Amino acid sequence: MTTTRRNFLTLSASAGSSIVFNLALPSMAFSASKKGNVPQEITSWITVHHDNRVTVRIPQIELGQGITTALTQVIAEEINLELSLTDWEFYDPLTNYNRKNVYVYTYSGGSFGMKMLFSPMRIAGAQIKEMLLLAAARRWNTDARGLVIKDHHVMNPATSTSVGFGKLSEIASTIPIPDPSKIKTTAQKDWRYIGKPIPRSDAYDKSTGKAIYGIDLKLPGMKYAAVKQCPVFGGNLVSFDSAAIKSYQGVQKVVAIKAGPSGYTVPPFFYEVIDWRMDDAVAVVADSWWEAQRALDALPIVWDEGANKDVSSTQIAQEINNKLMTQGEVIRQEGDVDSAFLKAEKTIQSRYHYPFLEHAALEPMNCTALIENGRVEAWAATQYGDEALRITAYAAGVAPYNAKFNLMLAGGSFGRRLHSDYVSQAVQVAKEMEGVPIKLIWSREENMQRSFYAPVMTTDFTGGIDTDGNITAWKSHVCQGRSVYQPYAMSRMVYPVPNLKIEYSTVSTPPPYAWMRGVGHTQALWMYHGFVGELAELAGMDSLSFQLKLLDEKKVSKTAPEYHNLEIASTYEDAVSRIKKFRERLLHAVEKMDNKPDPNHRGSVGYAVFDMSYAPGLGASVVAIAIEIEMSENHSTLKIKNVVASVDCGLAVNPQLVETQVAGAIVFGLSNALYGEITLNNGRVEQSNFHDYPILRLKDTPSIDVHIASSDTTLPSGIGEGPVPVVIAALIDAIHTAGGPKVRKLPILKNDISLSV
Amino acid sequence: MAKFVVNGKSVEVKADPDMPLLWVLREKLGLTGTKFGCGIAQCLACTVHIEGQPVPSCQIPVKDVQGVEITTIEGVGEKTLHSVQKVWVEGNIPQCGYCQSGIIMAAIALLEKNAEPSDAEIDSAIGNICRCGTYPYVRKAIHAAAKLKRATSGVIS
Repeated sequence: MTTTRRNFLTLSASAGSSIVFNLALPSMAFSASKKGNVPQEITSWITVHHDNRVTVRIPQIELGQGITTALTQVIAEEINLELSLTDWEFYDPLTNYNRKNVYVYTYSGGSFGMKMLFSPMRIAGAQIKEMLLLAAARRWNTDARGLVIKDHHVMNPATSTSVGFGKLSEIASTIPIPDPSKIKTTAQKDWRYIGKPIPRSDAYDKSTGKAIYGIDLKLPGMKYAAVKQCPVFGGNLVSFDSAAIKSYQGVQKVVAIKAGPSGYTVPPFFYEVIDWRMDDAVAVVADSWWEAQRALDALPIVWDEGANKDVSSTQIAQEINNKLMTQGEVIRQEGDVDSAFLKAEKTIQSRYHYPFLEHAALEPMNCTALIENGRVEAWAATQYGDEALRITAYAAGVAPYNAKFNLMLAGGSFGRRLHSDYVSQAVQVAKEMEGVPIKLIWSREENMQRSFYAPVMTTDFTGGIDTDGNITAWKSHVCQGRSVYQPYAMSRMVYPVPNLKIEYSTVSTPPPYAWMRGVGHTQALWMYHGFVGELAELAGMDSLSFQLKLLDEKKVSKTAPEYHNLEIASTYEDAVSRIKKFRERLLHAVEKMDNKPDPNHRGSVGYAVFDMSYAPGLGASVVAIAIEIEMSENHSTLKIKNVVASVDCGLAVNPQLVETQVAGAIVFGLSNALYGEITLNNGRVEQSNFHDYPILRLKDTPSIDVHIASSDTTLPSGIGEGPVPVVIAALIDAIHTAGGPKVRKLPILKNDISLSV
Repeated sequence: MAKFVVNGKSVEVKADPDMPLLWVLREKLGLTGTKFGCGIAQCLACTVHIEGQPVPSCQIPVKDVQGVEITTIEGVGEKTLHSVQKVWVEGNIPQCGYCQSGIIMAAIALLEKNAEPSDAEIDSAIGNICRCGTYPYVRKAIHAAAKLKRATSGVIS
């Protein structure tokens, strides 16, 4: 029997899973142009096809998190769609521009996709449903009340008549959009899709090689570009000698790319907006990418390496050291730290350090661009389509309405594709070759050496305890390389400490800043959690008991200055509930680890809990992790055996996706903690590819259990990043508990520890 | 002119003899399911089968595949999904999915040699990089695929 894709899905549906998706179409430009019939838009959120199928528009990038599946569930719930008759496409940034941000939240970052779009898409779905019902009522000249939606038809049970969406869509689109404040969404008890482990809509295409990522796009007459920026950050292009590669097969042109904006990496209303910019570059265009890269490697290029040409990691460490000897900006202060230290029974001091990191998304940066007749069109994976459109238009020198940007599937991203540098580069090359589609692809080496980086960070801690082992005094001074202003990571420490002072400083480092999965919490949490472990040891307690003792809501001061409460939570009650939630999750992780089989062979277990909150009252998922390791007797080798995570993410819209996001974030955190380090010498990144920037492999991956807390809330919070900082903190705690060396510097494997074979 | 067989079809390709098979597959033959990740056989996203063996295609100059039989991800599930792919789809294994063609090709090759691999055998056969961290699910899925394959090939497990 021949199994085509469609009947395979039908087969698998009958075999058990009752809900299946239709295929996903990654590029709207192509899906629309291939079919003769133009589907009818109803509001900006869906289009209806003649055969009643519905395509949902997703204002987020799909980079593996499954948001395309999850948001489709949300809107399908409200319209009462059948998932077998529903697919999705990425939103069109130009439409969003023209319609003044009709898609509400088009930025894929901060784990906010579902949180920000859940309610807007439910309301949009309920509006569309009402418009379809009113359209049918108008067609039948009857009252909309009593009409129902079933199988992409509006039905009138009284008369047993029905009409398909395809026939209704044109009328429906003309009905005024109902008032969102008066619209009724589906009651939780009636949910068919929300809260259910709906299968990923992209699993089939991604298991058969059919999924089309940016790098896979094919356009007629397309040429390929390889690209190289100055190896030193901030360097300028002086000249290149095209004649030297004239004889290279396939070479079409050598193009100088100008330094300039690479786009904002946060929405303007959200955070300080900084364009981290890109440097001058040279691109070689050829008939194939391999030929382009080969010629580029041979091309003599003269760079003015500029002010950063001698910068090294050693020098940066020295600058940070000097900065830490001065007073930083006080970002949180409670009680009287100085006198508390004088009264303390015991005090200790430690310094912790975190290196630069690169995202290492597996699909190299790439963008395809075409400039023709004063118009520009570009195709790429991006986490911020609105900015990619703006950069496309800017680089082409046209108005936004003469630009089109098409989102593509991303082969990973982790924050890297918030920058639109590769988009600008592709458009600049296309501008030099009008009428020719240009696919520009970065080599892995270019990805590693000319990225945007999670910044270096060093923190000095001083802590004091009393005779009962309570932390009575806490001082920390954090110094970060060039970055956004992100004191939240250090200041939002949840433990109630009566006398506390936290200072924040930065030094100017050459690599441009990037958000990276876990953001500032990834640098900060393991540091202060590690220091809490040191204080536990000083108090003669095990780290878990010490953490539980600290997670005591009775210690939250009711009379603390307003500033205190604003850092911990928006109110005293919130501060108490935050601590309670932490304790609940931590105890749950402890219990689940204890219940794992084979307790007699249990290794050392480390624990951590955190909520990755950015601001009080913003509501963040709480993640607790227990991690079991084994170390050799002399503590020189390490094996990570088991990880147990207990998470409270509010409403889990798709528990299967939540689980895999948590497990994936744990692997990401472990990989970075064990191996991740970017260093500089002579102004250049020393690492170049996966042999010297290793990534965790299957053989070193522990077993991972994820437990999702049931929640009475009807709102989701983000989960893609939270486990990253927590798993690092838990691992450091486990090494400490095992009696291993004090890890105060990442990566772990640079602390005289190796992974056991 | 390089002549070889891809997914059961004979092809002739005009390409520089040193061009890696990866780029010939992707750009000359349009088989984009095989992915470029590193170019130095570290990530193994470009894994294809050459005469049944899993090989990183970024390391094989096209001049070296004269007359040989190559299978890509597009060739394994053409008519009926392979047990590995079936388990992958039903288990929702891919996240970003970029590495999955390579992992699936490595898994299929493993199960051809070894009908019931142990965890350790899976670990050593799957050296691919997955940045999204699907590893724990990959391990389980290969066991499930092995079971399914044994069941469908009439072997009682």
